Amino acid sequence: MSALAEPETHPAPYHDLLSWITTTDHKRIGILYLVTSLLYFAVAGSLSLVIRTQLARPDNHIVSANTYAQLFTLHGTAMIFLFVAPFAFGLANFLIPLQIGAPDMAFPRLNATSYWMFLFGGLIVFAGAGANGGAAAAGWSSYAPLSEIKVGTGIGQDLWIVGVFMVSIATILTSINFVTTVFIYRAPGMTMWRIPIFTWEMVATSLLVFMAFPSLAAALILLFVDRHFGGHAFDPAYGGNAVLWDHLFWFFGHPEVYVMILPYFGVISEIIPVFSRKPIFGYLGLVLAAFAIAGLSMGVWAHHMFTTGAVNNPFFSFVSFLIAVPTGVKFFNWIATMWRGQIRFATPMLFSIGFLLNFLLGGVTGVMVASPPLDYQAHDSYFVIAHFHYTLGGGSLFAIFAAMFFWWPKMFGVKLNERLGAWCFWLLFIGFNVTFFPMHLMGIDGMPRRVFTYASTGPLPDLNLIATAGSYTMLAGVILFAWNVLVSGLHHAPVGDDPWEANSLEWATSSPPPEHNFTKLPPIRSERPVWDLRHASAARNTAP
Amino acid sequence: MNAGRMLFISSAFFSITISVGYWFVAHEILGTFMLGVMAFGFTFVAGYMLVAEREADLWGDQPDATMLEAAGQVIGTYTIRSPLPFWTGVAIASLLLGLVISPMIAVLALIALVALGAAFIIQSR
Repeated sequence: MSALAEPETHPAPYHDLLSWITTTDHKRIGILYLVTSLLYFAVAGSLSLVIRTQLARPDNHIVSANTYAQLFTLHGTAMIFLFVAPFAFGLANFLIPLQIGAPDMAFPRLNATSYWMFLFGGLIVFAGAGANGGAAAAGWSSYAPLSEIKVGTGIGQDLWIVGVFMVSIATILTSINFVTTVFIYRAPGMTMWRIPIFTWEMVATSLLVFMAFPSLAAALILLFVDRHFGGHAFDPAYGGNAVLWDHLFWFFGHPEVYVMILPYFGVISEIIPVFSRKPIFGYLGLVLAAFAIAGLSMGVWAHHMFTTGAVNNPFFSFVSFLIAVPTGVKFFNWIATMWRGQIRFATPMLFSIGFLLNFLLGGVTGVMVASPPLDYQAHDSYFVIAHFHYTLGGGSLFAIFAAMFFWWPKMFGVKLNERLGAWCFWLLFIGFNVTFFPMHLMGIDGMPRRVFTYASTGPLPDLNLIATAGSYTMLAGVILFAWNVLVSGLHHAPVGDDPWEANSLEWATSSPPPEHNFTKLPPIRSERPVWDLRHASAARNTAP
Repeated sequence: MNAGRMLFISSAFFSITISVGYWFVAHEILGTFMLGVMAFGFTFVAGYMLVAEREADLWGDQPDATMLEAAGQVIGTYTIRSPLPFWTGVAIASLLLGLVISPMIAVLALIALVALGAAFIIQSR
């Protein structure tokens, strides 16, 4: 592989701060996104530990009810708007041009602008914590008219509105960049049916962003007008309609769930074939399933509103059930890829298998709450908390760790320690399940979400204590990961350009890649150009 | 047919179908309107790709194309570094913060954004 990678130009040194501020290189912007979203994750994770500590025993008074409401609002907002989705955009920024053989994104300066808007938008959301009256406290869904109430001179909710608005515009801009880049900037021979699954998933994700995020932006503008300019769009007392917020928000909010999971389906689809030493099973099926999920997800927004009585429950229930079909296709393809493969249990593969197990449970409970009679029982209970944490925590978070271990050598030229990686996986896997599985039982036992204390009788105290213990086990896993990054960075043992013997084009260039990505490209004649090249070389070397 | 074109045409068909279907099932105006906007968006892009981009001929769409054949094609100009995106981010943040804190900050940020827009145009030449 080294014959391919002959970088003539070298990126500016990573310690040069000004070069990071002025960069328009997609790889650096990708790394900026990844680092920023991980920092937001650290803050959001710390908030969740305070939440879990408060809930460890009934009648705890570590935080007040109002502070607790601010904590879960900031936790949800940061995890959803500032970590899970932006991490995927960071990964896509780094990978898409490399995977399709392009020198950069279609609009490099727009790309950089999107990043800075994301960074500042996130900081504005968190700035609410220091404002008079505290941060926003109406939950990540900011239901109106609750979010329209002005508490004193507090501006926390206003900062939440403008911060999330800024992040949503940044997301739309970066999605425009992704789609344009993939459609126009593919290398010769890289037809659409040869692009890697991760890139396909990002195209589907970007289309979802185009359809869903304008609805959020519109809702936020209306909310801001209501709060500052005397509008009454969501205030029933003045002829407004509170359900209007629900419609506008969830028209964005449910597709957003898939914005947070489709990229990670792509990550898993990249990793499993490499560590099973087989081509991906059903490339076409995986791509079509991604678009089927994306399309159907635009028609399910009101399954979050079954209990309002203001929507057509059978329609939304039916479409929600339908999503299980393409998702099942994906699961079948991943398992079929592993079937009779020569599986290597490297850390990225461990996290991918963890993803499959956790996401499966999240998917099954998703089908359960898609049924209105069951949803009426589970709505706003800890059962729902367990469900969405199994999809976004057990699913996306595990895929995020898989992605970091897998592409770290390409980004930084060094591999993360495998032994520490395995420990990190087991701590996170056990910790995650100990934290979130009991929440199903809490929900069934009637514990509502968003309460800062609960009854001291029955099973709830023990279940909460177990969940809190699990959350600290996860903390140990995250600390171990940070230690792994530190140790691997200090030892700095360079790896080759393709340490995993992978398939897609990013492994054909040096690690880290040069400024405009490639000095030479291999011929692209299938969806596995690097595999083709490696085996063509092997065939030449063994020929008599 | 080009896969990109197919993607938008099939999305347009799907979104029109689900919009019409939703109206007949639910008779609900707001949801139908939002789905209708989505259908309009996809139909517009599909129409654009069918009419204006019919003759688009990209090396990336040709399965047997080689690097040698594509050599010399102009696919864009790349700015390696620019301070403008950072300052644009600062200006947009100031504009929105100004709406919350002080209209004066918003006005100054708006002026800065206009200046940055001009700088982008000059830098692109």
